[in-house]
Amino acid sequence: MDPDEVEFWGEKSPIQIVPTFNSPAIYLIGGDVGPFRATIPCRVPLWVALSLKRQQYCKIIPPEWMDVDTLTELRRQEKAASSSFVKMPSEHYMVEAKLLLGGAADDVPRADEVKTIVKDIWDNRMAKLRSSMDSMIRNSSMYAAVDNLTLMEINSVRPILPHALNQLYRMKMVKRGLSQGSATLTHTRTAVSFTGS
Amino acid sequence: MSLQLSYQPNYYSIDDILASQERVPCKVLQNVLGMGKLNPSAEDKDVKAGTELELPVWLVASDCSIGRQPIFAPELPKIYKEAYREILKADATAVDLHKFNVYFYELGAYVKQFDRKDDVHAILLHTFTTRFRLIMDLAHNSESNPTVEQKLDMLERRIYRVGHSARVKLNSWLLESGVQLQAANMVTNHRKRKRVDDDLFN
Repeated sequence: MDPDEVEFWGEKSPIQIVPTFNSPAIYLIGGDVGPFRATIPCRVPLWVALSLKRQQYCKIIPPEWMDVDTLTELRRQEKAASSSFVKMPSEHYMVEAKLLLGGAADDVPRADEVKTIVKDIWDNRMAKLRSSMDSMIRNSSMYAAVDNLTLMEINSVRPILPHALNQLYRMKMVKRGLSQGSATLTHTRTAVSFTGS
Repeated sequence: MSLQLSYQPNYYSIDDILASQERVPCKVLQNVLGMGKLNPSAEDKDVKAGTELELPVWLVASDCSIGRQPIFAPELPKIYKEAYREILKADATAVDLHKFNVYFYELGAYVKQFDRKDDVHAILLHTFTTRFRLIMDLAHNSESNPTVEQKLDMLERRIYRVGHSARVKLNSWLLESGVQLQAANMVTNHRKRKRVDDDLFN
């Protein structure tokens, strides 16, 4: 899956805006948006918010967690938990942070600091993820707990981890050919199979 | 992204054909009539029992797996023998696997059937699991530098390539549209983080 696809999913998450225009509700396939009354806050999907913001039709109210104190606390917890992941306030925190800080930085208080802290948290989580992937492969663990990982993070270990695990599985499957006297190697020239490629 | 790499070798798998082309030393156990051509160094019409030959692994493997009395007694190629196994055990990440054999794992899957002690099986798993970190680090950190994959065998290379292209996509996503999430200057300056990806902090 491309990061852009993950971004697409993330853009569906709702966010509060304060519109500066009046409009009846707009009916879309994905759900209704609006109605909009100037200065009355309402909830819309992120992509609508960004599009309106770009045309200067609204002011975005950043999500509660996008605040220096909350994020600093999160960063502290993330660092303290050396082997597990802390639950993030949003399933798409990275997408939201990136889009909001990019398209609506003037609506986020202390945007520069927020940027830095989010990036810190992301780096920290990625580092943990990498080392836990390594130890999982190295110890041939049967499973790994991926609680609290967000979609973007899970997506970042694809496709390298599934491929490596598949290959490991293959190696383990062709274990004993001769010693058990069975024809494990049936995939060779003698058998035609059209799987895979 | 397709899962093509999780293939099982099939009839048309080029990798499998190339890997099983490799020759293994083996001893002929019975007289083989009319197959003198197998032994290019002798003029005889037949291959006599006791001759030592190097035969492609596909021939030997199918001979062994059918279940009738075997004609050939294969030996391990030298890269899977004790001495080389010790090298891999010492530090698999330092080894130039591509020089060992281009299809180290594929060939290994064949020849481990000639090994009754399962040492080859163990060393293949050991090599792969220890080198996984190396592949992952390369995939995540190298810029488009073609020399990094030179030490990897074909199977590792493919894992590296998909991993690398996915990582490039992620990095460009993080960077695109001028929305850069930057690490603190302090972090970059102090080199506190082991992996400072310069691209991300410009």
